[in-house]
Amino acid sequence: MLTANRDKEPIRAFLISGDGAFVRNVISLWDGSVIQWTVFSKAGPAVDQLFTDPPELLVSDAVLPDMSGEALVALVKGENVYRQIPVLLCLPRETLFAPRDWSAMEADDFVLLPFEPEEFRARVELTLNRMSRSLDANPLTRLPGNTTIIQFIREHIERRRDFALGYADLDNFKAFNDKYGFARGDEALMMTARIIVNTVRRFPGPPSFVGHVGGDDFVFALPLHCVEEACRQLVSSFDAIVPSLYDEKDRECGCILSTDRQGRPQSFPLMGISIAVVCNRNGSLTHYGQVSAIAMQLKKKAKEDPGSVYVIDQRAQ
Amino acid sequence: MTTQDMRTEYKGKVLAVKNLPTLPKVLEEVTALMEDPNTSIEQIAKVITFDQVLSAKVLKMVNSPVYGFPGRISSIQHALVLLGFNVIRGLIISTSVFDEMNKAMVGLWEHSVGCALASGEIAKVLGLKDPEEYAVAGLLHDLGKVVSAVQLPEIKPELEAMVRDGDISFLAAEKKLLGFGHDRVNAWLAAHWNLPPAISEAISYHHKPLSARNYTKYACVVHMGNFLTRVFEYGNGGDDNVPVMQPHAMKLLGLNQRMLENVLDRLSDAFMDISDLKLT
Repeated sequence: MLTANRDKEPIRAFLISGDGAFVRNVISLWDGSVIQWTVFSKAGPAVDQLFTDPPELLVSDAVLPDMSGEALVALVKGENVYRQIPVLLCLPRETLFAPRDWSAMEADDFVLLPFEPEEFRARVELTLNRMSRSLDANPLTRLPGNTTIIQFIREHIERRRDFALGYADLDNFKAFNDKYGFARGDEALMMTARIIVNTVRRFPGPPSFVGHVGGDDFVFALPLHCVEEACRQLVSSFDAIVPSLYDEKDRECGCILSTDRQGRPQSFPLMGISIAVVCNRNGSLTHYGQVSAIAMQLKKKAKEDPGSVYVIDQRAQ
Repeated sequence: MTTQDMRTEYKGKVLAVKNLPTLPKVLEEVTALMEDPNTSIEQIAKVITFDQVLSAKVLKMVNSPVYGFPGRISSIQHALVLLGFNVIRGLIISTSVFDEMNKAMVGLWEHSVGCALASGEIAKVLGLKDPEEYAVAGLLHDLGKVVSAVQLPEIKPELEAMVRDGDISFLAAEKKLLGFGHDRVNAWLAAHWNLPPAISEAISYHHKPLSARNYTKYACVVHMGNFLTRVFEYGNGGDDNVPVMQPHAMKLLGLNQRMLENVLDRLSDAFMDISDLKLT
């Protein structure tokens, strides 16, 4: 459903078409509290507003008086800052039967005209959801990224739900990356992601969630009562599997030789995982900023110990 | 068709392998274990380790490029941690069971488990790191025979006849009939499935371990494991011959008489233990 995961604010959408009947039909599909349409009869003025105040959804007719809908879409999608706008192109039915290169079309989806109201509604909702899913995902691990993580934490704090939130990062990842190169670094991150996902998933019941902040930083959420056991399993699986990432020689000596930040040669131990766990117990957390502040304090504590380690926030117990 | 064409055609057929037979009992057991929320990964790994086909599938999957760390994982337990229960469940559903095949493979299954135990024990006695990886290599050392049997069923009776009438080894019969042996099939499968280099060399060179370039020890351990399993007459590898043991392999491993006796003692106990576990 369009309204499921959203605030009360309606979705700001642009509709570009010179066809009055078509415009009326589209607008009548949603209640004004769900989608708020701004209508343009030509591409020019739409582009102007698009660039200064981009909408959350763009629906365009393929045939416009001043430029083709496809050219408009290419213009929007060609800029990385506007790429994330979900775009639906409305094509005359006969377009489907003419030879054309579909892979070159940059719209996220299309609807054939004249449209079926049910289909149009479904396409818009799918496009919106598809974009929000794919955009926030980390390109390497495909785990949800910051937007989803923050939204998850905010929602749980607001609803005063108990949860434990683990912040995990890797020790000595930089040395590994420097020595073996970024492709092998990516392997390490993929492996970490798999270990976290599968460990967290094995604990039943909500809230179980895994996100990838970026680089070697991961976040996961679990019910309070099982977070310690999960951390224990995470650390033990990680330590068991991580040697597989190293070349045999380094694995045997248990360290790698690389240079430190000043360029001096130094030996680095195998990677470890450090986990800081922040707990929300009986509404002890009131806003999102607290979570990361507590996590960073705990992280410092965790980093004092060499090797894999977890620290659980004990306050408000 | 020329011999070369035949070989290429056979190779293509072998590598077209999609469904491998596995033991229904193992599948049942793993499925039951996974339904119990208190089951540990270790327990499941232990059961899967008794089936060379399921083990190969698990390793193939975790080492595929999809997961992003190809050729790195050689432990079943680690593979299970990385794949997760969802994927394992899917894997089990996708594992078709050929009853008829199972009957024919029973001896080979026992031989493979025997070789896994023997290879693991040898690695332990020698104090090698990660003896479990040697056991996995031992378990998979005859996988090529299973795959050839499934992919080239028309060949099987002829192979068996050659072994029986010609009194030659299974390997020699394969080479004569197909132009390649199961050791070569192992090498193809290992490359095709991105298995880690240690496992790949061990299973590709278990008949001539000193030719293994980088993981000679693995190949030598599996070579010895295979030999010992045959000496114990545990299971059946397709013929009644004990393969030639390369004395150099023993030397390279630093395996002396006393250690070997130690391995034999432990093995006879282990074989007694698992004879109760027969899954057929």
